Amino acid sequence: MQKLHATADADALTGRAAQLLAAGRAAAAGPLLAAARRLAPDSHDVAELGARLALHSASPQEAAAELDLSIAAAPMHPGLRKCRSELRWRLGDLDGATRDAAEAVVLNPADPVAKALLGVLMLELGRAADAEACLAEAVGDEPANPAFREGLAAAQEANGDPEAALATLVHGIVAAPTLVQPRNAAILLCMRLRDFRQAVDLAEAARAAGVADACLFGMQGHALSSLGRHDEASDAYAEALKLGPDDPYVRHLVAAAGIRPSATRAPVEYLRTVFDGYAERFERHLVSLGYRIPGVMRGVLQQHPDIAAGRRVGPVLDLGCGTGLIGLAIGDLPIGPITGVDIAPNMLAHAAAKRLYADLVEADVVEFLGRSERRWPLILAADVLCYFGDVADLLDATYQRLSPGGWLIASVEELLPDAQGTIPGNGDWALQRQGRYAHTMKYIRHAAWTAGFTIRRLNRETLRDEANSPVGGLLMVLERLAHDR
Amino acid sequence: MIADAALERLRLGDPAGALALLDAPATGIDADPARHLARGMALLGTGQGAEARSALRTAVALGDRSPTTLLNLAIAEDRAGDVERARGLMRALAERLPDWDEPLLRLAESLRSGGNAIEAEAAYQQVLELNPRREEALVALGGLLIARGAGLEASQLLLRCCGIAPGRAEAWNALGLALRLTGDLALACTSFIEAQRLEPASADYALHGIDAALAAGTADDELTRLAVSAATDPLNPVPQLARGMLLERLGRRAEAIDALDTAAALAPEAPLPAKLLGGVLSRSARLRDAEAALRRAAELDPGNPGLRNDHAAVLMRMHRHPEARALLLDLHERHGEHPSVLCNLANATVCLGLQDEAVALARRAIALTPDAVLPRRALCNTLPYHQDVTGAALLAAARACSLRLPRRDLGCFANSRVPDRRLTVGLLSGSLKTHPVGWLTVAGFETLDPAAFDLVCLVQNPVPHDPIARRFRSVAREWVETDALDDVALATRARELGIDVLIDLGGYGDGGRMPACAHRLAPVQVKWVGMQNHSSGLREMDWIVTDRWETPHALAELYSERLLCLPDGYACYSPPPYAPPVTKLPALAAGHVTFGCFNNLAKITPRVIATWATILRRLPGARLVLKTHQFSDADTADRVRAAFAVHDVDGGRIETRGPSSHRAFMGEYGGIDIVLDPFPYSGGLTTCEALWMGVPTLSLPGETFSSRHSLSHMSNAGLHGWVARDPASYVELALAKAADLDALAALRAGMRARVKASALCDAPRFGRNLGAALRHAWRVWCEDGAPVIARPPGRSNLPGDCFGQAASQ
Repeated sequence: MQKLHATADADALTGRAAQLLAAGRAAAAGPLLAAARRLAPDSHDVAELGARLALHSASPQEAAAELDLSIAAAPMHPGLRKCRSELRWRLGDLDGATRDAAEAVVLNPADPVAKALLGVLMLELGRAADAEACLAEAVGDEPANPAFREGLAAAQEANGDPEAALATLVHGIVAAPTLVQPRNAAILLCMRLRDFRQAVDLAEAARAAGVADACLFGMQGHALSSLGRHDEASDAYAEALKLGPDDPYVRHLVAAAGIRPSATRAPVEYLRTVFDGYAERFERHLVSLGYRIPGVMRGVLQQHPDIAAGRRVGPVLDLGCGTGLIGLAIGDLPIGPITGVDIAPNMLAHAAAKRLYADLVEADVVEFLGRSERRWPLILAADVLCYFGDVADLLDATYQRLSPGGWLIASVEELLPDAQGTIPGNGDWALQRQGRYAHTMKYIRHAAWTAGFTIRRLNRETLRDEANSPVGGLLMVLERLAHDR
Repeated sequence: MIADAALERLRLGDPAGALALLDAPATGIDADPARHLARGMALLGTGQGAEARSALRTAVALGDRSPTTLLNLAIAEDRAGDVERARGLMRALAERLPDWDEPLLRLAESLRSGGNAIEAEAAYQQVLELNPRREEALVALGGLLIARGAGLEASQLLLRCCGIAPGRAEAWNALGLALRLTGDLALACTSFIEAQRLEPASADYALHGIDAALAAGTADDELTRLAVSAATDPLNPVPQLARGMLLERLGRRAEAIDALDTAAALAPEAPLPAKLLGGVLSRSARLRDAEAALRRAAELDPGNPGLRNDHAAVLMRMHRHPEARALLLDLHERHGEHPSVLCNLANATVCLGLQDEAVALARRAIALTPDAVLPRRALCNTLPYHQDVTGAALLAAARACSLRLPRRDLGCFANSRVPDRRLTVGLLSGSLKTHPVGWLTVAGFETLDPAAFDLVCLVQNPVPHDPIARRFRSVAREWVETDALDDVALATRARELGIDVLIDLGGYGDGGRMPACAHRLAPVQVKWVGMQNHSSGLREMDWIVTDRWETPHALAELYSERLLCLPDGYACYSPPPYAPPVTKLPALAAGHVTFGCFNNLAKITPRVIATWATILRRLPGARLVLKTHQFSDADTADRVRAAFAVHDVDGGRIETRGPSSHRAFMGEYGGIDIVLDPFPYSGGLTTCEALWMGVPTLSLPGETFSSRHSLSHMSNAGLHGWVARDPASYVELALAKAADLDALAALRAGMRARVKASALCDAPRFGRNLGAALRHAWRVWCEDGAPVIARPPGRSNLPGDCFGQAASQ
């Protein structure tokens, strides 16, 4: 019989626990720390390790209690302060987190991590100038640290100096040429600045340096596509798929580039990924594109017989509400209360900040319509149908949720024949290179009839400008029959 | 006086203390038998049988013939090795004192430890007749009954023992084992839990407990119990150890490694946690960590040859073949010939380019155990590299191995015989990852028509975050990890999954599960890339994927399978996105031609070296770059350079390079003008990589499948005129190609575009071809009507057995 007994001492166990935790293996570190604590009383280092471990093990309240006790016993320990700062940040206590980070800097002014932490927190608090100062010091201490550089670039961008931000990231690439993180951050910044040429150059430089990453190739594809270089974009998407085959975002882009057969709608994960990452700049981007749909919808609503007569219409469902641009456009009309539905929590957070919605629901629109039992006299779907190829199910579900006589107002991008006169895709709809579906007017009309709607209006509108040319679309007003109860 | 004090120490379980007392200078004359008796008993207690015997014989000689003294003498004789004398004394005592159970018990133990189970059983029965409550006899007899499968009988005895001595952990453990045999799994689990409660430090009891829980379907309960136990007693390494092994069996390897790492950190001086951790790490492809753990385990238990053998196996997977070979040779010297050591040694030896020696080692292992599979596998894995190998010899070796695989009739297949329905295709491999198998097959599977084929991956040694593994995973309907399944369980699982066509992509290689195909996983079984060095020789393997260059008509009879002959090449290359750009022809700047070969050293035979040396002698300015993992060992590199020196080629003209990152590896083709292919085992993926980097390969195909890879890939890329007939024409062709630098430069400049546009990299086209071939194999099965087609051994391929057009090349 093999008998096993613990022979390691407390120091050995603590040391190994710290190694494992640093490697992200909290599940292995935890039992060793517990064993070490059986063998010897807690030192400050053990207390800090325990708190860090608690941070990993999703019990922040326990970690907070542990840290409060430890800091009370050792108020001059900078590690404990940093740890509590991270915890408070996670718990949403930005002020407390900032105080602890500042204490950590005071206690150990040579610690670049503490300075970077303070900088990032300052940025969160909107104090971009202070953030930039802290992060610049951190970068000065550790020039090759990609996280510090990304933080500094974010602060510089927030201070209105995107060129400096790009320079920070480009220097980061030089300092750590094998890392993908600074390269992706620089490319993303170029994309935000709509400098697609530089984005492509940076991606090519990354490839030449042997940095291969799905996200990098995906962004390269995006940038190439924005420059109209679709064949090269297709190659980039194919490479992205090799490196990130299970990434729904990449898969959808690849389908859009025609490399793989496409599905009948964009995957929910794709929408969440795109729009969650997009929330911060969504409105700016749409406004910069001359996005016209909210205004067009407002115009249509003003012609609604009840609204025109000054009667209130509601409740209203805004499908795919995003950051709440529709709510903003119609907020002064006699409409409401408005319920917004969107897949991306970050977008919903922005919509909530506008205080125009009575209710905001994080859900896929089809799933929401399927489980909802409410009826709505007005449903709005601006730029929602463009994430569906086959719209039959969506229209059917919407019809079921409209009150008799209720309106659905929606927009789609129009699918037009190509240079040879052929309609792409299946003749009804096609997935386009930017990852959105476009539909023919004939198909939309047929789908609306099939779902049971009366078409009150279906006409061409300019949705927005892209590459300095207008993108054509269709605006529809569909009505559920008044006698269909 | 001293004797009494010593006996008292013995009673207190302190034989060393007793000895210390007795070793003090005697106050009187040393003729007191009691003192010798006490000394003998103390020596027995400290495991010094021979010394104990001497002391006890003295006690008897001095007149002490008491039963206690005689029985202790008998035990000492037994331990000192005089078993017959010992048993004689025990029997005599039993006859003299027929009511005393102790001599019979000692006799039974002597018989049991001597391997005489039948007589031991009888002796224990006699003990129990005298004393039905004798715990040791109940436990030991229970153990013997378990060993011969008499679970019910054993469980009755052991239940009695647990009733008599409920605090005896070993009795509960033995009861658990007996109940497992009778199928009372829930009670078995309870018994093991009780054994662990009584003896928490026992790793065996805990490991038995997880086996029982798995069999009882209560693994989750056991996991919870072990987690609670670990939290309650954080200093006990055993619950963590058992959790780790249970998690591993449940396929939760990352968590298993965490738990085993914890156990190993708690008990750093114990070999068992390090050994188990090393095993799981090795199966998780975390080879560096596995090597460290197994080295540690071997250091802690230096007399354990199994641990060192495991360590050597991991070293081989890390391409540290010289170290592995040295370790195995040492093992061989210390512990004698052992088949598994010889097999590992054969594999390590072939990887160092010592093909003759390797094949001889495999044959020695076969001679030791002619009916075992492992040595036959070792021969199948070494023979293809040997310079004198023939297709017939390789087929014979493969057939001989296949014949020895266990087979169980798992019944007929119920798959519906509808020719054009959507098929479930199973991929069986330990290499669905960044590995030649992955690079050469993944694009084909990605482009198989999903409306016609549904993919199921049966994966050994999965590497979850590997980029190519993720590509496989993203196109598969199911991803089944097979590590915990033995061959029969694997075949059963495959049948449950409704696999119609099974493609083996592992052969007899690392993580290969081809032996399971002997039980039949699917009605149609196909061999493709993955140790596809020639025919599988397996009669249950219905088809082999090939092409007209790999298997022209004339060679078809060297295969036991029917040929699925694809219209282009048999594989589809998926170049890495990070490959550097193609450089200009280096000879233009260097002023001399640089030949290169980045293939495994196993492929470089003495005849290859002699041929390459002839080229270098006739082209005095030329250089040769050899790059492979094995050249990280300076002695190996020196040995290969010395082999060139024998042929009058200065070693300075041969540059040996060790391993590098894959991108750097690809980049090093920037310095190579022409690749010289080894023979008879040509480059496969390596040839594709060279092509992607603009470098053509000069090849000498033979009759085995593995000798024709380069021919296939080069031809598929539209490159003809790089094939030699024999070593002499190989030399002439190399000289001719090296003499026309303009042509080489032009070829190189357009090579990547050519390869990209060729069938070699045309994944959609390949996917269609593969789909058509698989559909053909399926239709044949649908039309044949027989439950399962087993081709008679020895039957050669007939024209009707081939899919696609085979050329008479």
